[in-house]
Amino acid sequence: MKLLTHNLLSSHVRGVGPRGLPLRLQATEVRINNVEFNPDFVARMIPKVEWEVLLEAADHLRLIEVPKGPIQGYEQDETFLRKMHHVLLEVEVLEGTLQCPESGRMFPISRGIPNMLLSSEETET
Amino acid sequence: MSDVQEATNQLLDVNLHENQRSLQVMESGPGSESENLQVTIGATVPTGFEQTAADEVREKLRSSCKISKDRGKIYFDISVESLAQVHCLRSVDNLFVVVQELKDYQFKETKEEVLKDFEELAGKLPWSDPLKVWKINTSFKKKKTKRKKINENSSKEKIDNGQGDKRDKKDVKRELSDNALESHILDYYENPAIKEEISTLVSDDLASCKDETDESSREETDPEVLKFRVTCNRAGEKHCFSSNEAARDFGGAVQDYFKWKADMTNFDVEVLLNIHDNEIVVGIALTEESLHRRNITHFGPTTLRSTLAYGMLRLCAPQPTDIIVDPMCGTGAIPIEGATEWTNCYHIAGDNNPLAVNRTANNISSLLTKNQIKEGKLSWGLPIDAVQWDVCNLPLRTGSVDIIVTDMPFGKRMGSKKRNWNLYPACLREMSRVCRPGTGRAVLLTQDKKCFTKALSGMGHLWRKVHTVWVNIGGLHAAVYLLKRTPQAFVHSSEQDGERTPWC
Repeated sequence: MKLLTHNLLSSHVRGVGPRGLPLRLQATEVRINNVEFNPDFVARMIPKVEWEVLLEAADHLRLIEVPKGPIQGYEQDETFLRKMHHVLLEVEVLEGTLQCPESGRMFPISRGIPNMLLSSEETET
Repeated sequence: MSDVQEATNQLLDVNLHENQRSLQVMESGPGSESENLQVTIGATVPTGFEQTAADEVREKLRSSCKISKDRGKIYFDISVESLAQVHCLRSVDNLFVVVQELKDYQFKETKEEVLKDFEELAGKLPWSDPLKVWKINTSFKKKKTKRKKINENSSKEKIDNGQGDKRDKKDVKRELSDNALESHILDYYENPAIKEEISTLVSDDLASCKDETDESSREETDPEVLKFRVTCNRAGEKHCFSSNEAARDFGGAVQDYFKWKADMTNFDVEVLLNIHDNEIVVGIALTEESLHRRNITHFGPTTLRSTLAYGMLRLCAPQPTDIIVDPMCGTGAIPIEGATEWTNCYHIAGDNNPLAVNRTANNISSLLTKNQIKEGKLSWGLPIDAVQWDVCNLPLRTGSVDIIVTDMPFGKRMGSKKRNWNLYPACLREMSRVCRPGTGRAVLLTQDKKCFTKALSGMGHLWRKVHTVWVNIGGLHAAVYLLKRTPQAFVHSSEQDGERTPWC
């Protein structure tokens, strides 16, 4: 699971506050991939990124050199874009967990795939 | 936001209402020693997606297309130098070069006379140029088959360092310098040996597609004595003969004319005789194995044709960095096609079934491996991820998805009609939540049209039906619905008066 994907996820556990609560990420196995850099793609993704979520995830994965937010003129700043490219697309969580911050419910990540299925009691009916 | 919305609207409209105003056919290629041969190519495409395929041809080959009344076929002219690019088209199942098209063919009264006419026809057709094209195409395929063998062997080893095979110099000059196209050429002979009926090229009782290992193990044949067969497809109510009879007699005459050897299974040349009412098209096949399962190495019970997946994706006009989600991905045919062709978008594949998710992950791995070998670089990334989830309760942020494309359970081989009554409305509702208001869109394939229409009817404030494409999936009449997400924000049930349960 890439961090860009994690950024789009949110908790769907029943009864948990407003939809959109980010999931807390912990990883036991991470792989860094070498992905072709596409500056245009990264630049356009920036507005869609939830920064707090990204920063917290990067923090839990102990990533370094993660920009704290979009900087002035980021579209042309290659250094900035490369850092973002790395964080969003090159870091892959292979084993770990996602946790709903409010209910504490844990979802496993195995072989890169998070299992977000809830039991029937847990889902809204 | 409204600019994007407008652009999306325009794109969707253009996609749908573009008429066949003919663009200029490509002017002659750069002056060179090789003769500049112009030929007409015919392609079979998933029925209902003829226009989408025509759009792809216009975009990639700069040729305008004629869409045949014989459903599922399009025709376009190219210079023979562009043959390589033709094989890169993602929306076509099979290709052939047209020998001659006979419109308003007058069939005689009796079967004997009709068949005699076919016999005489064989000797009168302009074979030489199409055969040149066939020859170029064959030598082109042989190179790829050899390269494929090399790749198959090397893929079995551990892929640590990118060991690309050296690129073959291609005979066929290419007009476009786009390197991304090169990476698609290997797709052509990529498929595992999954025997499959090529419904449009095989007449009633003739053999279905061949294993490509046959192709490479066949020794170089003496070019004078080629082996051939004739495949006839006949559609129409007023014919007094059968496709077998036509194939047999036409084939007999072809054999006499060329002194080729007839061979039903181990042939070099496949001659096509397509008869649709009063229109006859004689062609020579350029593909042996249908291209439509190209991306999938791990099949599931209801795997969608890649060509159909491509058509569906094209229908929603993906924009750069669109987030594209298939929430019921099965083997991942759609997201994988998406990740291959729309690399500037981000694709997420999800399913509730662990088997399906595993298959998707495996198919993604296979694709990555293939890309690694081809590209010869260390790049191990495609803009795609897989998640296991329930489509009725997606763990996605509200309004975060630009496009939803999926093949919904028909209720025949997967799920049941009864389950659909509950599933479809819940599905549409959850999809409307995650889909971005205003610019978001969904392309949904289903055979259970009644259930779908009913489910949609209560959601006019969230979804607007823009277009329907009628398709044929394994004999079932299905529909692909293109929906636009209205600008209205999603209101959660806790904020409403509580009526959220699916109707019965």
